[in-house]
Amino acid sequence: MNNLIQNILVFSALSIAIVFLVRKFIWKPRKVSTKACGGDDGCGCH
Amino acid sequence: MAKQINVALIGNPNTGKTSVFNALTGLNQKVGNYPGITVEKKEGVCKLPRGVKAHIIDLPGTYSLNASSLDENVVIELLLNKNDKDFPDVAVVVSDVENLKRNLLLFTQIKDLEIPTILAINMSDRMKYKGIQLDIPLLEKELQTKIALISTRKNKGIDELKELIINYKELSVKPCVNASEIDPNYFDNLRKAFPNQLLYKLWLVITQDVNFGKTDRNEVDAINSFKTKSKADLKRLQQKETIKRYQFINSTLKKGHTIDLKSAKDLRIQLDRILTHKVWGYLIFFIILLTIFQAIYVWSSVPMDLIDTAFAFLSEWTKNSLPQGAFTNLIAEGIIPGLGGIVIFIPQIAFLFLFISVLEESGYMSRVVFLMDRIMRRFGLSGKSVVPLISGTACAIPAIMATRNIESWKERLITILVTPFTTCSARLPVYLIIISLVIPEGKFIGLDYQALTLMLLYLIGFGTAIFSAWLLNKILKIKSKTFFVVEMPNYKLPLFKNVVLTVIEKTKSFVFGAGKIILAISIVLWFLASYGPGDDFNNAESIVTTAYASENLSSEELQQKIASHKLEHSFIGIAGHAIEPAIRPLGYDWKIGIAIVSSFAAREVFVGTLATIYSVGNDEEETIKNRMAGEVNPILGGPLFNFASGISLLLFYAFAMQCMSTLAIVKRETNSWKWPTLQLVIMSGFAYIVALIAFQVLK
Repeated sequence: MNNLIQNILVFSALSIAIVFLVRKFIWKPRKVSTKACGGDDGCGCH
Repeated sequence: MAKQINVALIGNPNTGKTSVFNALTGLNQKVGNYPGITVEKKEGVCKLPRGVKAHIIDLPGTYSLNASSLDENVVIELLLNKNDKDFPDVAVVVSDVENLKRNLLLFTQIKDLEIPTILAINMSDRMKYKGIQLDIPLLEKELQTKIALISTRKNKGIDELKELIINYKELSVKPCVNASEIDPNYFDNLRKAFPNQLLYKLWLVITQDVNFGKTDRNEVDAINSFKTKSKADLKRLQQKETIKRYQFINSTLKKGHTIDLKSAKDLRIQLDRILTHKVWGYLIFFIILLTIFQAIYVWSSVPMDLIDTAFAFLSEWTKNSLPQGAFTNLIAEGIIPGLGGIVIFIPQIAFLFLFISVLEESGYMSRVVFLMDRIMRRFGLSGKSVVPLISGTACAIPAIMATRNIESWKERLITILVTPFTTCSARLPVYLIIISLVIPEGKFIGLDYQALTLMLLYLIGFGTAIFSAWLLNKILKIKSKTFFVVEMPNYKLPLFKNVVLTVIEKTKSFVFGAGKIILAISIVLWFLASYGPGDDFNNAESIVTTAYASENLSSEELQQKIASHKLEHSFIGIAGHAIEPAIRPLGYDWKIGIAIVSSFAAREVFVGTLATIYSVGNDEEETIKNRMAGEVNPILGGPLFNFASGISLLLFYAFAMQCMSTLAIVKRETNSWKWPTLQLVIMSGFAYIVALIAFQVLK
């Protein structure tokens, strides 16, 4: 039981990580943003 | 719901517009005591008295409404387009009390557009040091406006400014100067041809050098066809207009502005003489750089070791405290070491930004820009390229955006292409860990070898950027001319609050920006390193036990062999071995290869990746540094991170284009994939060749 739960958690974490990386670097959903880049944070540089 | 008041903050560069923006909105946008910080408009909301809200727009600095660069164009496009949703109900012209004469030129132009305009005279706290006295009621009468005397440093006058904004409808929209007097006949014809248009707006559209993007093209073209005068004649008229405005400004200031030189206590001239001297200036800058790098090393070594040990302990504690299983391993061997690989560098990053912030706040950075202009001109660039190159020490993204105030396309393109050579903060973790592994401890004239190496890497980055600029200047056949005028701000004692805020914001941005990517990559890497295809991985235990049956290995040694065998045959091991032939001549093994590939997302990922991979293949509680120091070169034997491979890695990271986000921003700014592709191929190819030569010579 413990193993099953741990494996489920691992695969959930992995899926979230992959989705995050794909959205960050490969496919970005289009959004209309009113916030201008302030130069430092949110510049998408990291 | 009541309509928000649209407020545009406009002014010359470095008058403190962003400080006023922060004071009104409560936001913390970056401010600095040198021009060119703001290149895009920024927006925020300000709560005014009596429940009224204002939408505040901070615009890039401009000296006049005659645009010559993209950032200045942002201001003019907004002021000329009444249909823009951000078109201001009221303009607040922020001016510097010490440069009122020059600042008022822009003010009078905006008044001519018949927009309600408030004059906010900033830095009023310096009046007593400079012996400046202002007759505010008289100036208000002459300039037909309301004046707020403010000091964002001392947080004075902001409430009065808010009060003026809320009562903007009471402001006069009558122009101060009648520009049509410079050529009554021409303006008369213009008025007759476009009776429904504002005369000064027409004049501005006709005389602009920069093409408008947002303004209605048909309207602009129709007006352009009215260029009945030659370009030279129009320029002459523009000059007449400027002279007329200055005549008005001079006569106004003569009445309402006095300077008592006896009461002025100004050290600026004496300081400038030394700090911008053609010999002493460079020497002082060099000494400042040396001090910064020495301090970064000396001050941060203790907290860095503490963080490293704390993460090793946390990893071990997690493994022992949580129920055994895959998820516990993911946390202990993947996530914690991965995050440790970034948190460990917080002290150095904080100290670096502390120094940069003090230099910016004090006004010294503008002197550096001036000094660098002398060098840059020899290489075909002007001092305008220095601001992006210096900003590049934090991050290449805002630095590349800062090139928007360079008028010449050729110079802007060259600056965009060479800026990624500047040592950004993302390179710092890679440099620091490799230097600590391969450069011996010791001192040279009181300076650490390690600190000197770090400084050398910064100089190599800057030197390569300048050399590449010179090369590109020879290669690119684009004709253009540019002029550089640098604002020399006054020296100021850095404000503790601004310095602390900058350090916190930059460090937070470094940790959380890269942290999310590192967390995600650590999870993926841990999975790829902990699972694998085929019998070699699944039956690792029996394969290793059989292979070493004849040797008398302790259970700990056997476990180590099994972990190592599994890692070699895991998904990541297979991928790493596939790329190994390409990187082995550089002195790297497959694990470094994987770290290089994953750090293409962001350079900081390099250390976290290695920490995760080494953690999966090793059960002992160890710090990142010790794990890296303990790695053995599988081919040559001896430490994997030795002098030759270490220097090779340092040089590879100094030159390689290891940042996807930078490539994306270069594409956006150049509007073409051609330049980022060339940048990637040339920079990374060059990095590979240099790293190869370094290893082969030093091994």
